[in-house]
Amino acid sequence: MPETAPAAMILTSRTDTKPAPKPDPAAPGRRTRRLSVEIRQHAPGWLQAAALAGGLVVGLICAAALLVAAGVSLSDLAQEFVVSILTSPESLAAVLTQAAPLSIIGLAAAIAFRVRFWNVGIEGQMIGGAIAATAVALADLGPEPLRLVLMGLAAALGGALWMLGPTLLRLRLGLNEIISTLLLNYVAFNGLLHLLYGPWRDPESNFPNSALFSSPERLADLGWQNLTYALPLAVVLMLAGWWLINLSRFGFLMRVAEANPRLGRAQGLPMTGVVLAATLLSGALAGVAGFAICAGVEHRLTQSFAAGYGFSGILIAFLARNNPLAVLVVAFAVGMLFVAGQSLQVFYQIPSSAVQLVQALIVLCVAASDFFIRHRLRWID
Amino acid sequence: MFADFLLDWLSAVPGFAVPFALAALGLLVIEKAGVLSLGAEGFMLVGALSGIGAILGLGSQPLPALAVSAAAAALLSVLFSFLVVSLRVNQVIAGLSFVFLAQGLTGLIGTTEGWVNRPVEGLRSLSLIPLVDIPVIGPVLFRQDVVVFLTVPAFAVVAWFLTRTLTGLRLRAVGDGPDAADAAGIGVARMRYGAVAAGAALVGIAGGYLSVGTARIWVEGMTGGRGWIAIALVIFARWQPWRALAGALLFGAIEALIPRIAAVGVQVPQYFIAMIPYLATLGVMIWTCLRGNGGSLEPRALGVAHLREDR
Repeated sequence: MPETAPAAMILTSRTDTKPAPKPDPAAPGRRTRRLSVEIRQHAPGWLQAAALAGGLVVGLICAAALLVAAGVSLSDLAQEFVVSILTSPESLAAVLTQAAPLSIIGLAAAIAFRVRFWNVGIEGQMIGGAIAATAVALADLGPEPLRLVLMGLAAALGGALWMLGPTLLRLRLGLNEIISTLLLNYVAFNGLLHLLYGPWRDPESNFPNSALFSSPERLADLGWQNLTYALPLAVVLMLAGWWLINLSRFGFLMRVAEANPRLGRAQGLPMTGVVLAATLLSGALAGVAGFAICAGVEHRLTQSFAAGYGFSGILIAFLARNNPLAVLVVAFAVGMLFVAGQSLQVFYQIPSSAVQLVQALIVLCVAASDFFIRHRLRWID
Repeated sequence: MFADFLLDWLSAVPGFAVPFALAALGLLVIEKAGVLSLGAEGFMLVGALSGIGAILGLGSQPLPALAVSAAAAALLSVLFSFLVVSLRVNQVIAGLSFVFLAQGLTGLIGTTEGWVNRPVEGLRSLSLIPLVDIPVIGPVLFRQDVVVFLTVPAFAVVAWFLTRTLTGLRLRAVGDGPDAADAAGIGVARMRYGAVAAGAALVGIAGGYLSVGTARIWVEGMTGGRGWIAIALVIFARWQPWRALAGALLFGAIEALIPRIAAVGVQVPQYFIAMIPYLATLGVMIWTCLRGNGGSLEPRALGVAHLREDR
């Protein structure tokens, strides 16, 4: 996350205030006690874990309360969210199918965060990537055995291209990337609609989605349930991301770009190049996630395949603390949420945006719990 | 023919400009106090839903419904303030999460209550009697609904408040130098809570105007990115109210033009036309960056949480 405790704050904070004297219970009518906030230098591991767990629990309780208020009984919630997913292989497979693209976009968001770049445009980049991959599929480019590889590469290129504008505008003009990436989501979505209602409309069904991909254009099945190679692809990408961030020279440069780009520049390190490469990589990963959904799940380009994923990417990177291996775990949990959200939609007419609500509540509660890691509350007189 | 088109277009501009204008004005108040408010889209969504909800659920008239919009957005903003002012949550994360929180919450409530796609009787247009008879500009400027008429005074009041009153000065001080303001005895947290609530109320009215005033119907996610455009407008306006109004008129003109392009028979693919507001926003942002940062009244402590113990 771009904002970890800034060094200046730690240096200048008053941390060793004298222990507060016990308030005198015999002093009536004087309300001089007040709650003081102090900065903590260190938070012990148990406290960090407790704060995270507390944030998660409070977030889940809030979410459950809202869903119960919307008419889903508590036992049904437990059934949909936990029991059915952990007991039925079909549901587990559905969760893993969701977790694959989710982890890829989580990694996309994490890599951009690593250079202090808020990539809020993941949905646009997914659309850009999926459009590029679909173009390859519809045009039957390349020999059939290589078709999928070409589609994946096209998707990476499409996602990166969609990111190129915001990156260059940020690096050359200092234009705020939050707004530019977000606005381009709407542009990409309208472009997608144009294709699906126009030239790419399915000639067979006349529905506004592309024609079905032929079998060399689909990610192959793994042989268990309906899982495809999207899952191993995601795992490989996470491992590669872990290597890139933790072990490679580029990862070191990203850490400099995150902590102190001015220092890096003064040392002659290519800070602009690092931000450029990291953001384009982020866009490319988002494009690949779009490809994984189209070629692995939907087998065609649809209108709303990317809907809601952008915020999930940010949530996953945030909860995983930008660590690619933790991204896998969080993506699995968010996948559970997505699958449960689908059955809530079918059986209880809960709109799919409820999934976003639950995610937002969890992010807010976990972010709020950070307060207790970084600060200490104390009554002073 | 062309004159008719022009007149028809221009008289629609104020109605389309009002949501941008009020949202930008509300954001300006929030940001002047040093709080970055990326949640504008969310507050607009809340305003849009609660306006319709007041009419369909409580049988309210359109104008009080807008008050409900303002109150609902202000109420939710207290939670936002608690997170970013009191608990010092990163303002970008909190703002983004609030957009999705509002998206989910309004979708959930609106759908379960069955408020989707139910037309309501919206605000009526009023004619300012003697003025509306002025040829050409009369119908354009003086046959509008009451919110349009109140928007310009609202800008005047906020501009006057920020620059000419002691509270306004304090609010700006909190946004520019919270440490100094704190030392001068201004309650930084209290001021920020107040600014966020007042600003969010305005943004809520902007959202309510979309559902109650112009569309007269509610659908999920109906703000369509206007909150984000309003954020860009504030940057474009360099945090100056009157410039924000000018920007809002520009985007109102663009939005009013969109349905009229197809109507006069110009053949442009509709989805390309739908991209125009977003591309225009990007263009305006680029132009703002190219022009340099001279004369900007950007609050110096924008997005920085304040804690007395930090000093």
